[in-house]
Amino acid sequence: MSKKFWYLVKQSLGKKIKSKWFIGVNIMLLLVIIALININSIISFFGGDFNESTKVYVIDQTEISYPIFKSSMDTMMKQEEEKIVIKESKKEEKELKKNLKDNEVAIIFENSQDNYVQTKLISKEKINNTTYQYLMQGLNATKTSVALVKTNTSPELLQKISSPMEIERIVLSEEKSVDENMEMVMTTLFPTVILPFFMLIIFLVQMIGGEICEEKTTKSMEIIISNVSPKVHLLSKVVASNVFILLQGLLLVIYSVIGILISTKGKLIIDPSIDTLLNAAATSGFTDKLLTLLPAILVMMILSFLAYSLVAGILAAMTTNMEDFNQLQTPIMLVLLAGYYLAIMAGMFEGSIFIRILSYVPFLSCLVAPSLYIIGETTMLDVFISIIVLIITIIILAKYGLKVYKVGILNYSNDKLWHRLGKAIKSKEV
Amino acid sequence: MLQVKNITKYYGDYKAVDNLSFEVKDGEIFGLLGENGAGKTTTFRIILGLLEQTEGEVLLDGKHIDYSLTDKIGYVTEERSLLTKMTVKEQILFYGILKGMKEEKIEKELKKWLHDFEIEDYENRKIKELSKGNQQKIQFISAVIHHPKLLILDEPFTGLDPINVELMKKAIYQLQKEGCSIIFSSHQMEHIENFCEKLIILVKGKAIVDGYVKDVKKEYKKKNVALRGEKLPLEEIKKIKGVLSVEKQKEEYIVKIEDETIAPKIFNKVKTCNITKYDVEEPTLNEIFIAKVGEVRE
Repeated sequence: MSKKFWYLVKQSLGKKIKSKWFIGVNIMLLLVIIALININSIISFFGGDFNESTKVYVIDQTEISYPIFKSSMDTMMKQEEEKIVIKESKKEEKELKKNLKDNEVAIIFENSQDNYVQTKLISKEKINNTTYQYLMQGLNATKTSVALVKTNTSPELLQKISSPMEIERIVLSEEKSVDENMEMVMTTLFPTVILPFFMLIIFLVQMIGGEICEEKTTKSMEIIISNVSPKVHLLSKVVASNVFILLQGLLLVIYSVIGILISTKGKLIIDPSIDTLLNAAATSGFTDKLLTLLPAILVMMILSFLAYSLVAGILAAMTTNMEDFNQLQTPIMLVLLAGYYLAIMAGMFEGSIFIRILSYVPFLSCLVAPSLYIIGETTMLDVFISIIVLIITIIILAKYGLKVYKVGILNYSNDKLWHRLGKAIKSKEV
Repeated sequence: MLQVKNITKYYGDYKAVDNLSFEVKDGEIFGLLGENGAGKTTTFRIILGLLEQTEGEVLLDGKHIDYSLTDKIGYVTEERSLLTKMTVKEQILFYGILKGMKEEKIEKELKKWLHDFEIEDYENRKIKELSKGNQQKIQFISAVIHHPKLLILDEPFTGLDPINVELMKKAIYQLQKEGCSIIFSSHQMEHIENFCEKLIILVKGKAIVDGYVKDVKKEYKKKNVALRGEKLPLEEIKKIKGVLSVEKQKEEYIVKIEDETIAPKIFNKVKTCNITKYDVEEPTLNEIFIAKVGEVRE
């Protein structure tokens, strides 16, 4: 029987990998991933540039504003990605205006009786919102500093006043110790980390459900089941679909590496913008938490794949046509989507017992539990509870679901899908 | 030899098969008849081990059927059970390996069968590209590629033209010669009459007719008298006690009678007419089927 089991696994996997769908989707994924990683080059090719800097020419009639403004802007630019280059101009205002290009801004600092200093901000067109916000911050900081200088504040005092607040951050609960920047990291980095996982589950459900549905609607199921037991059949589908998505996951990693290699012209180095984000992740403790959690996440991922494939297989056994199959996919997708959004918005539910309970719920836990742990809402113990609940669910699914599967695969009644499922569960053979 | 002993199957409160028993010896072709929903498919599924009977037992060569024995069974389902995206070769390899065969052996057998059915060119064609008749041939090949000990044929001639029906009949007789026990189910009674030595007619899961075809026909008292001639006294014939009906069929009249003793009375009425045909015929299986199923329904 084990020979037939492995043959079914091989056959199922081979059919999927050789299918036009798989080849088409993977070509598309390869192109999309390479394109996303190389988006700067693509935009530059079509005439745009993400890296194009805004040049700000400053005419300083106050004689003290330019160094303060430049220093303030340079400090901001070190921390942020926005590229604004500040240069002093010795030209007249009229001449500067005449020669101003699209990505150039002119700032003229003038002395003011009432406000110490006032500014003209000149551009050819509307300034991009982020650049405008940075310029506003720089200008306001400059005004404060100019005012302090004009009121004879000593340079030492001025330095002390304008330096940022020194904060010693103390969190009393060691288990929940977490950086406040984590929320920012969670909203930017975490969705990217869990998106492939989310996608793989969708592939998994579609593969196992589609295959069982096809075998049932073509009636070849009766022939297959007369040669191998329903248990062997379902397990072969579960194993094949799980191997398939692990392979697909590996391919996604390979596509990313290819994208990076193309982007960096053959060197496996990380783009500075991504590097900044990764640095922020490391500083906030996100990376440490993720690495600590990695073994548990991997276990949870594999268990979740198993649970999803079992549910998809059992539900697909109840279908009699593709319409039924599409119907059954909907609740699985909704649960998955709910898990995805709960995971990326976990920070909004700070202290909520409800979200903590949801992190134990199988099918959601694989997405929600790591997220809550990383933002410090739960502990490692909670993650282990989620894993145990998931294992119990898989055992129950394997025990009772298999019996429903056995009844379902031979059921071609015209009852509604969910009615058929109910009948199968109540069946005496279950 | 297949032995079905007193099997009963309930779906909830519904009795799908009611104390059914029969035997199919090696090299015997057995007919299982019944209207739609009579319990034929359930019986087949029980024999194949797909369903568990509520009561009774099914033995193949004296052993209970389980997955160690199903490799010896072939099954042609009523509706086509082919994965239509596969090629003919892929499909046969798939089912053949599930029957425990080696790839080389399957390929060798496939070539022989494709030749016998005159479709050698279709080996690498996708099943969905084939005509219904050719798909039916592939379905048949997939069921017999492993030379089964027991073959279940549920409407095997669906979609086949008379020439291909003959080809398939030849193949079935060949399997019979090899000692294969064959269960045959069809709604086309002439196929059952031609093919089967024994039969069962199922109504609501219960066998209402059971035995050798020739005995079933013999035991059925009602007969038909076929008449052809000029100026036949049809009205007088209708008045004879025991005459059930007189129907015109093409050039002749069929007089249905209660039993054989009525036939001489009809002959006496027509002997002076210019008759070219007078024949006392046994009823067709179709008539027996309709009459027996009708009786139970009433």
